Amino acid sequence: MPLPMADVITMIKNNISKRGTPLPISTGEATGWAMDLDIPHGGETILYTGLLYQLTPFIESVVDRLDKLDDESLGGLLKAGKVFSGILDISRFFVKPDKDEIREQHNKIKRIALLLRKAGVEFGYLYKDEMYSGVLLYDLGLEDEFKKHAEKVFNKFRKHGVKKVITIDPHSTHVLRSVYPQYIEGFEIEVKNYLEILSERGLSPENNIEEDITIHDPCYYARYEDIIQQPRSLLENGGLHIVEAEKSGRLTHCCGGPLESLSPKIAAEIAKYRAAELSGYCDKVVVMCPICYSNLKRVARGIIELTDISSILWKIYGD
Amino acid sequence: MLQKASEEIHRALYMKSLRKGLSRSVNRLVPAPYRILDRWRYLLGYTEEIREAKEKVLNDIDYYIDATMKMVEETKGHAYYAKTKDEAVKLVKDLVGKDKLIVKSKSMVTEELGLREELDRDNTVFETDLGELLIQFSRDKPMHTTAPAIHITREKAIMLLKRHGVKVRDNMSTMEIVGMVRLFLREKFVKADAGISGANSIAADTGSIFLVSNEGNIRNTTSLPPIHIAITGVEKIMPTMELAFKQAVTQAAYAGLYPPTYVSVISGPSSTADIEFERVYGVHGPKEVHVILYDGGRVEALKDEVISEQLYCIRCGRCQAECPIWQLVGNTWGGRVYGGPMGMGWTAIIEGIEKASSLSHFCLLCGKCREVCPMKIDMPRIIRYLKMYYFKYVK
Ligand code: SF4
Repeated sequence: MPLPMADVITMIKNNISKRGTPLPISTGEATGWAMDLDIPHGGETILYTGLLYQLTPFIESVVDRLDKLDDESLGGLLKAGKVFSGILDISRFFVKPDKDEIREQHNKIKRIALLLRKAGVEFGYLYKDEMYSGVLLYDLGLEDEFKKHAEKVFNKFRKHGVKKVITIDPHSTHVLRSVYPQYIEGFEIEVKNYLEILSERGLSPENNIEEDITIHDPCYYARYEDIIQQPRSLLENGGLHIVEAEKSGRLTHCCGGPLESLSPKIAAEIAKYRAAELSGYCDKVVVMCPICYSNLKRVARGIIELTDISSILWKIYGD
Repeated sequence: MLQKASEEIHRALYMKSLRKGLSRSVNRLVPAPYRILDRWRYLLGYTEEIREAKEKVLNDIDYYIDATMKMVEETKGHAYYAKTKDEAVKLVKDLVGKDKLIVKSKSMVTEELGLREELDRDNTVFETDLGELLIQFSRDKPMHTTAPAIHITREKAIMLLKRHGVKVRDNMSTMEIVGMVRLFLREKFVKADAGISGANSIAADTGSIFLVSNEGNIRNTTSLPPIHIAITGVEKIMPTMELAFKQAVTQAAYAGLYPPTYVSVISGPSSTADIEFERVYGVHGPKEVHVILYDGGRVEALKDEVISEQLYCIRCGRCQAECPIWQLVGNTWGGRVYGGPMGMGWTAIIEGIEKASSLSHFCLLCGKCREVCPMKIDMPRIIRYLKMYYFKYVK
């Protein structure tokens, strides 16, 4: 028996409305990346993580559990109402991810922040006041809940006098830039993605990396937010040679990630398909989205080697 | 409904023969339109013209239904408008009668009507498109709009044909198999009392219907029997013959077959005035041509600002071939007739929004369908709308 989709959706909904995030994550786990960076609190321009990078290890551990749960026993537990009977129960099959995994995600955000700084961008951060974007509510079709959540996020921004937001992943970028204005009257906050900013600023490379790579474009950068060329220029300026897959840019092929929590099995099959396809171009694959990273990672072993673009950009422009 | 769909989809996910058949066909289907569009670039212009023309027709659907029917009558055909499935089925049954032999070409609208099954009760019906014949023999549902048997492997095809009296053997080549099917169907074409087809396009200014095929079965179906009945959705109406032609060939191109081998244009029954200039009908082609414009929820759907966009669809099936989910499970993800990305909107139109909304949760919202659709239909928008509908009204 496959996962009871409606129940999983309800569980996610309950979690977001109670905790503000799809999965339980502590303040330290959310904001730890900013330690020792001395980023000012708030400000007109802020770096907005949307918590997606930080949440990824948690999502991975839940997906892993969901996937492994004996289908039969899951059915039984459900009938008895033990698993999804309320907000608490997510913890029943929730194992805290490895500390190293969390640290690795923090490092990615940290590098992005440092690169922005290097490019001369001044920005603040909301720390524990930063909220999840609610994008999952929107994608699952929970419109009322999404609207409510988005309003809260907007109010938080307003309270801090935020005028401009720098985003770091495709989902938060899209939802803030293209969806919030449809749901929130007077949403006039400017939303820019860090890849757009870095490429505009024309950072000069510190190191030259001559290497072949291929790119897995995330759907929401490529098809919705027109972020295709910027990452390519940034990589090519650092000496990298991009072996373009046929399914790239606007024609990119989804990694399967959006179905991770509703059907880990379908998500994995799509990831297999995509990983095999990419490996035909180059086994070094650059990804730009934490969800793509985590879903492809489930099947990547021995087929492709994944790197988040922030790590490569750091090698080229950081240090 | 959601859970049941989920179970079916997960079962399909691990069906080896389905996966194998799908992936073989997808590998051929996906690249074809890119090659075609690269070479015959004017097709891109056609898509824009068609989209514009469709907007015109859909905004004024009553007028266009009327105009088309008048022209069909003017060319000595018989025109009907059927609002519901029952009306359409009854019309065909009355026209055909009982104990008749009927040949039929593939058409998704007849699939909507379950027409083959309906007619089969009192008559003998044969599908003449090879893929659809295999579907008929396997009692399956078509897995793709233009390639219905995409999931049936060659081994299974041989087994099915054999069982139904086509003289094929296990070790036959594809050509030999096709030869046997030709022999088998030839006889039916000649003896048939009526031929039933869909239409890829219909022109309001001439009442002409356009039919595209590669096998040649449609030419036989629509010209050998004494009666030809064509059934088509009202959204297939184009204002002019020129645009109707463009719609028909563009569909073929985006389905990966260009140029299509045959494009038939039919404007009324066959006739001659060669003896003393007296016009008589029914020479070599049919004596009667009946054209049924089928509504089946379409006109009602026009009231829904979001769902109605699906009516721009020319049913090329490209969104299906390119969809990450569809590539794994085919039309298992879908309603009774239509599956994959286009199948969400179409299911909402013909089976109701509730049914479609239960299926919508399998969509990744990756947006590839919109990207490759010749009509640039915003399917992710439609599907999001269905997901939202589910939580507001269904659950
Ligand atoms: S929705 Fe677009 S791509 Fe899909 S079948 Fe219709 S016209 Fe073709």
